[in-house]
Amino acid sequence: MAYDNNSQKIVDYIQNFARKHSLFVLAYGTGCGAIEIPPTMTSRYDAERFGIRGAATPRQADVLLITGYLATKTLKRVIRTYEQMQDPKYVIAFGSCTINGGMYWDSYNTINMLDKYIPVDVYINGCMPRPEAVISGFVKLQDEIQAGRADGWKKYQDNLEEYRANQKKIIKNWTMPDFNW
Amino acid sequence: MTDTLNKENKLLEVLKEEFKLLSGKVKRSRRVEVVIENEQIIPILLFAKERLNYIHFSHMSCVDWIEEGKFEVIYILWSPEEKINLLIKTKVAREGEDLPNIDFIWRQANTYEREIREMYGLPFDGLVGREEFILEDWDEIPPMRRDFITNEYVSETYFEREGREDAKDVREQILGRTDEKLPDFAKKYSRD
Repeated sequence: MAYDNNSQKIVDYIQNFARKHSLFVLAYGTGCGAIEIPPTMTSRYDAERFGIRGAATPRQADVLLITGYLATKTLKRVIRTYEQMQDPKYVIAFGSCTINGGMYWDSYNTINMLDKYIPVDVYINGCMPRPEAVISGFVKLQDEIQAGRADGWKKYQDNLEEYRANQKKIIKNWTMPDFNW
Repeated sequence: MTDTLNKENKLLEVLKEEFKLLSGKVKRSRRVEVVIENEQIIPILLFAKERLNYIHFSHMSCVDWIEEGKFEVIYILWSPEEKINLLIKTKVAREGEDLPNIDFIWRQANTYEREIREMYGLPFDGLVGREEFILEDWDEIPPMRRDFITNEYVSETYFEREGREDAKDVREQILGRTDEKLPDFAKKYSRD
């Protein structure tokens, strides 16, 4: 196959098309948002219509769904989980707590901006977002994937030092492996 | 009114007879509050459990009275027969004094004591358990103490999303505008 621009576009299109229609979700139920996931996945709202379904382990998952506030303790586990996922990987941040801290903006142990620590592709705002909003967030992510704009995982590789500095500012006793690509 | 509070008053009388230094009052039906010196906390808890059948240890909490330099620890007991919540309050100096460990009376008190030790830095005499309980790698002063300034810590440690700052105090925000008045509901919760 000739590696010209047009054939690459076709390959990308097919790749992205395949990726966007089978999103395996690792729902990281940190906060109150975890309660919105079961209705989203089950028959009432049936997210599997969009090819969205649960994954058992981080290594099998495409999407990391972070549902709600993140304590510094859970942030450590989220980073560990995120780094175990295979490329390409996407992050959906769920609820206003992940955007700006929400009602926990002045808490001593919850972070305020998730995208300083791991790259976020799609934010769903609300406190809490309803399953309709969750599905609309997933559809937005699918559009981004199709357009090739959901490249948070590349951003993480390129700016790893910056992210790591932010993470280590909070996680003082760093015992996790330092990845490099 | 006094007729309905019969059992509560009776409980208070029994306790006052047994412990001379005790003061207390009936807050409302099913709620009795007593204040006692911290040396007598084990005797009164044992007395309540063994003699008066206050067998259920509901909760144990702590209040920081920074102006007095004291911590107030509250033991909440419940009697399933009398159906009364007995609140036993005691004060202890913020620094240099510790409370007796009571987890030989109720095992579950161990959890509450460890939490209070971590969140307030109040030591318990003879408490067994790891120093680190809920917080991980915490090297500031205990976060529930009132001299821990949460706002400062947050602005130093975490990032702040732009545009968030104007949502912090609705009252100041409204007062800063020209032709708006503070609504009644906001006055009610005013800080001054």
